[in-house]
Amino acid sequence: MVRPVGTETELLTFEGVTKRFGGVTALDAVDFGLRKGEIHALLGENGAGKSTLIKVLGGIHVRDSGTIRIEGRQARIRSVGDANRYGIRIIHQELSLAPNLSIAENIYLGRERQGLAGLRRRKMRGDAEALVEKLGLHEIVAVDTVVSQLSVAHQQLVEIARALSCDARILVLDEPTSSLSEKETEALFDTLNRLRSQDVGIIYISHRLEEVMRLADRITILRDGRSVGTEFVDKMNQREVIRRMVGHDIKDHFHRPICQSRAVALKVRGLSSSMVQGVSFDLHYGEVLGLAGLVGSGRTELARALFGIDAVGGGEVWVDDELVSIKNPLDALDAGIVLVPEDRKGQGLVMFQSVGFNLALPWLTHWIRGCFPSRRRRQGIIDRAIRNFSIKAADTDASIEYLSGGNQQKVLVGRWMERRPKVLILDEPTRGVDVGAREEMFSIIAGLVETGTAVLLISSDLAEVVNSSHRVALYRDGRIVNTVKACEISEEEIMVQLTGAQDQ
Amino acid sequence: MKAVKQVLPLAAAMAALLIYFGLRVPNFLDPENLLDLIQQISVNAILAFGMTLVILIGGIDLSVGALLALVGTTTVYVLTQGRFGGAGLLGLTAAIGLGLAVAVGFGAFNGLCAAKTKMPPFIITLAMMLVARGCALRFNEGRPMHIPDDHGVFLALGNGRLFGVIPVPVVIMLTLFFIVGILLHRTRFGQHLYAIGGNREAARFTGIPIVRNEILVYVLCSVLAGLAGMIHTSQLYSAEPASGMMFELNAIAAVVVGGTSFTGGRGTMYGTLIGAIIIGILDKGLNQQGVHFSLQYIVKGVVILVAVYADVRRR
Repeated sequence: MVRPVGTETELLTFEGVTKRFGGVTALDAVDFGLRKGEIHALLGENGAGKSTLIKVLGGIHVRDSGTIRIEGRQARIRSVGDANRYGIRIIHQELSLAPNLSIAENIYLGRERQGLAGLRRRKMRGDAEALVEKLGLHEIVAVDTVVSQLSVAHQQLVEIARALSCDARILVLDEPTSSLSEKETEALFDTLNRLRSQDVGIIYISHRLEEVMRLADRITILRDGRSVGTEFVDKMNQREVIRRMVGHDIKDHFHRPICQSRAVALKVRGLSSSMVQGVSFDLHYGEVLGLAGLVGSGRTELARALFGIDAVGGGEVWVDDELVSIKNPLDALDAGIVLVPEDRKGQGLVMFQSVGFNLALPWLTHWIRGCFPSRRRRQGIIDRAIRNFSIKAADTDASIEYLSGGNQQKVLVGRWMERRPKVLILDEPTRGVDVGAREEMFSIIAGLVETGTAVLLISSDLAEVVNSSHRVALYRDGRIVNTVKACEISEEEIMVQLTGAQDQ
Repeated sequence: MKAVKQVLPLAAAMAALLIYFGLRVPNFLDPENLLDLIQQISVNAILAFGMTLVILIGGIDLSVGALLALVGTTTVYVLTQGRFGGAGLLGLTAAIGLGLAVAVGFGAFNGLCAAKTKMPPFIITLAMMLVARGCALRFNEGRPMHIPDDHGVFLALGNGRLFGVIPVPVVIMLTLFFIVGILLHRTRFGQHLYAIGGNREAARFTGIPIVRNEILVYVLCSVLAGLAGMIHTSQLYSAEPASGMMFELNAIAAVVVGGTSFTGGRGTMYGTLIGAIIIGILDKGLNQQGVHFSLQYIVKGVVILVAVYADVRRR
């Protein structure tokens, strides 16, 4: 069935918009159109120009040439204020709410209603309530709840409510589902569908193709700053979208590693911590064990307990049939367990240090003896990681913040491989990285597994878990409820078991 | 050399100041005057070395000024008691040893609180500043304690000259500069500090022992403050419980002028040394130029702002 797309009236048009930064052309004569009542997905690899396009639209960057029209009339967008006046609202990946204030206060942040007797709290509260009701949030929480008590998903709804309160006609969402569970994603989609029927034009950016294909009316694909076309979703399939994004065919979405049944690398018995309640499992050398669980099920906490970040309440951990006591990360590293944490910037990288600093940091004992650092050894460590994991860094002395998300992730994995760990725990290794980098990450994992490393893979992306693991452990409320061979279970079945739907 | 490149603008600013005062103040660039300048900055520079380490890991130590006074009074008290061997080598060792033990104690307490509790270092060290000042004022009812002339070795700490030329405080300061510089720029400990200051969580996930490093940093900072206290006391020929007021702020000024980021993770020892020298040149130059002390404060304040602004802009 072909859905009628919007109202056929063009709400926003980009005509040959170009933006350069120094010698780099970030947007090269891009055409783009958004209709009223349409969800238009913007796709492309990292660095393809999506965020530049959004920033030009939002008035953060000013275009070098080209025309932007809003409802047919030429628009002058030179600042964020201009963009707001045209009803353009951008919801960034990092939410911009004040965590210490209530929902109502956040919605009117910076535009507080003030009368002669000070803030008109009751009026703001009432208005906020009406708005929140539109989004279906009012059934869950009251508008005077403090934002820090809300889940990320609900915080996102507050952001949307704030956007709507300023009569947003064009709403831009940048990776809104990257930290949402399936259920929360569904709720968000309901909201977006509702807004669509209210004639709001929505630009939607996401790396998750499946949800894009399900939600969007049209998609525009950017590659190297150019638009490679706008299509109706019904006329596309995922493979075709990926092909256009990357510019060539991808052989196989994932490499399923070759299974070599070998000795047990990691044996966990009854492990408990604050959020982990008696977890037991075996992980073999050369095996990927996928840990499938919803957000908040305690998956990350299991990883933290194994790596000695969180205090362990009870249970035993055996590595190579030897009982190990892990009280801090150093103990874990000594035992041969490595964790690549989920929050790349917050927990992984030392941001304003160089690529080399970050790569050489775990191996200080290898290149500094007393007060004699060896530049040669340090460079050796760095070069090996760069080479073995094809990290694209022009200058290893340059700050790591200039690397793309995928390359930063490769730094985080690659830096531990100077001496091969026995057990590698990957927590959300592909969060916020593009299709190409994701594929690369999985071929890296496959390579490590082939040489015998045991991998515990935690991911919210069920397709990823099913396609790249040998076995899948279904994880719910701090417990492993079932362990199955990956080839014997579907994503749907996993969802059923994780949500507990079969209990009813 | 990357480190050298980073301090190049600072070195240029220092040279410009030297030239400026060289033109305005007669004999400013005489070797004797310059040696005197370096001697005058020694105490502040030593405090600033320790402060650099603390600020580098995202902390702050407000207690160094008061600790300087406390260690000074403790040392002189032991020295003049006679009970520990008087003017001999034994007495001197006991005095310096006890003084440094006090410093280690305060530093360990600061570090332990900073690493193990959620109290902000600003508050911890503000409180310990009061405690240290109070302890110092307990000695001799808060009055200065004169150092008798027979303690020649201790008096030489602040007033002696190596080979009759180089002031001993300068020798000590430069020695400490090399030691702390090597610690920060050539050892694993130094790399740990950059990692902790840059991203504490990331450092933890890399297996860096944060508590141990943090305590060590505060202990080092306090020990350096203690050594500075002995030099200062020796220079004054007496231990003054009320000395060292605002010294912590002067040290912080030298550190930030030297390009260390106040949020942690960035900074060098070279930068701090030059920062301390720049502030020293300003002090001495303005003084010798006959500028009223009220104006000196204003000029120093503006210089700090300009230096830090230029540094922030550059990043």
